[in-house]
Amino acid sequence: MEMPSLNRSMAPLQEYLLQGSILDKHRGPFLHRLNGLCDVVSEMPEKFHDHEMVYHLKGVGVQPMVFRVRRALDHPDSPWHVRYVGQPEIGDKTRQTLVRSYIDVGTSDNISLFLTEMGFKQDHEYVAKGYIFRKGRMKIVVSKIYRMPHQGNTETLDVVSESHVVELSVLAPHGQDQVQEDMKNFAEQLKPLIQLEKIDHKRLQ
Amino acid sequence: MQKEEKIQETTLESLFQRVQEIKNTIISFLLKLEQEYETLNWPTVLDNFALLSSQISMLTRLIKSDRIPQLRGYVLLPLSLSPERDAELEKVTEGRVMAFNHEVVPDYLRTKPDPEVDDKMMQFQTRANQTTPEMLQKQITTLNKISMNMIEIINSKRVEWEGEMNQRSSQPTTSSLSDTNAVIAAISFGKNLKSSRRQDSTGQGQHSSDHKSQHSSSQSGGSVHINKPPSTVKTNIKSAPNAHPYNRH
Repeated sequence: MEMPSLNRSMAPLQEYLLQGSILDKHRGPFLHRLNGLCDVVSEMPEKFHDHEMVYHLKGVGVQPMVFRVRRALDHPDSPWHVRYVGQPEIGDKTRQTLVRSYIDVGTSDNISLFLTEMGFKQDHEYVAKGYIFRKGRMKIVVSKIYRMPHQGNTETLDVVSESHVVELSVLAPHGQDQVQEDMKNFAEQLKPLIQLEKIDHKRLQ
Repeated sequence: MQKEEKIQETTLESLFQRVQEIKNTIISFLLKLEQEYETLNWPTVLDNFALLSSQISMLTRLIKSDRIPQLRGYVLLPLSLSPERDAELEKVTEGRVMAFNHEVVPDYLRTKPDPEVDDKMMQFQTRANQTTPEMLQKQITTLNKISMNMIEIINSKRVEWEGEMNQRSSQPTTSSLSDTNAVIAAISFGKNLKSSRRQDSTGQGQHSSDHKSQHSSSQSGGSVHINKPPSTVKTNIKSAPNAHPYNRH
């Protein structure tokens, strides 16, 4: 599904992505490892606490149009985000990471209302809580995913699993495939604590 | 006299040969140390030492053997020293001794250690003689005790280390594939995130369909068996809309 030409001046960005998970009880050593490997920023490690709502617009095709709205629960004054991510391409063996198109824009907090008016329906929502690291242009997000049993209520939460999800990603303009090599090397350094891999999302569906 | 000289000559000859062998071994060993220090391993070093030590013991055996005359019975006197460079001597010693002068002669023709070293040796000797056998025994047992303790400590450490190594090799699993799949499915498609609400809605649907079927069966039952009291039919019809007011709208 191609994005409509929302903003012609914006270069289309690709997200290169590797995913994995770490069991909760081994999170400590893993964060230490990341602390050592990643760039030093003022607050280590950087924390986040986000609420993500996923909106679907059922079109003619089989695949719905998916917009992901995200807000920071720990910074209520920050702008919200609306994100479009394309279908991930697995590629062949020569490709080290998943690649998907990626558009992320800041918005005001009435985006949900706007999307609903346009005919989008909220498909699901969750709370992600965790840590973010960076190394050069690479971004490493370690987060715990919580289910929200009551719609809109971010206070009472259920855990989805006993693991934190770990995502290593780089945003780059189209065709910068050499970043994959850097990502692969970085993922190599996190073994054997976790295996960051390109995970076939179709297999999970 | 001539016979004695002949014996002496052959003796020197064989001594010279042995010493030459030892020298060659040392040279090759040094060469190895200098050039192959990266690939050299401990067993080969030990082999070299063993070779040297066997050659030295052969030399001492030769000196002590009956066929060799008492060498210490001979006197070697430096007759003349000269500060000049001696080409012949240089050649014989392979460039190590340039001249037969007053500087090198005391070192090369020495038969006793330095007076200082001699004094030290004497001191040690007297000290060794002073200690009584009981004290010696005591010291030996103490030393043995200390050594045993050391060995024990080293052994226990080794066991500890090996345990650690084993632990490291059988590292606990820090990530689980099923969890990876579960969380990624959750953030990608909302798998398990929307389950609770969905179950609710489907449950509601089932409920209502159940009631509908009940409803229709009771209705059909009513039409077939006219004699049946209509009260049950009435309550049935009533109960369904009461439980699900939304079905009406």
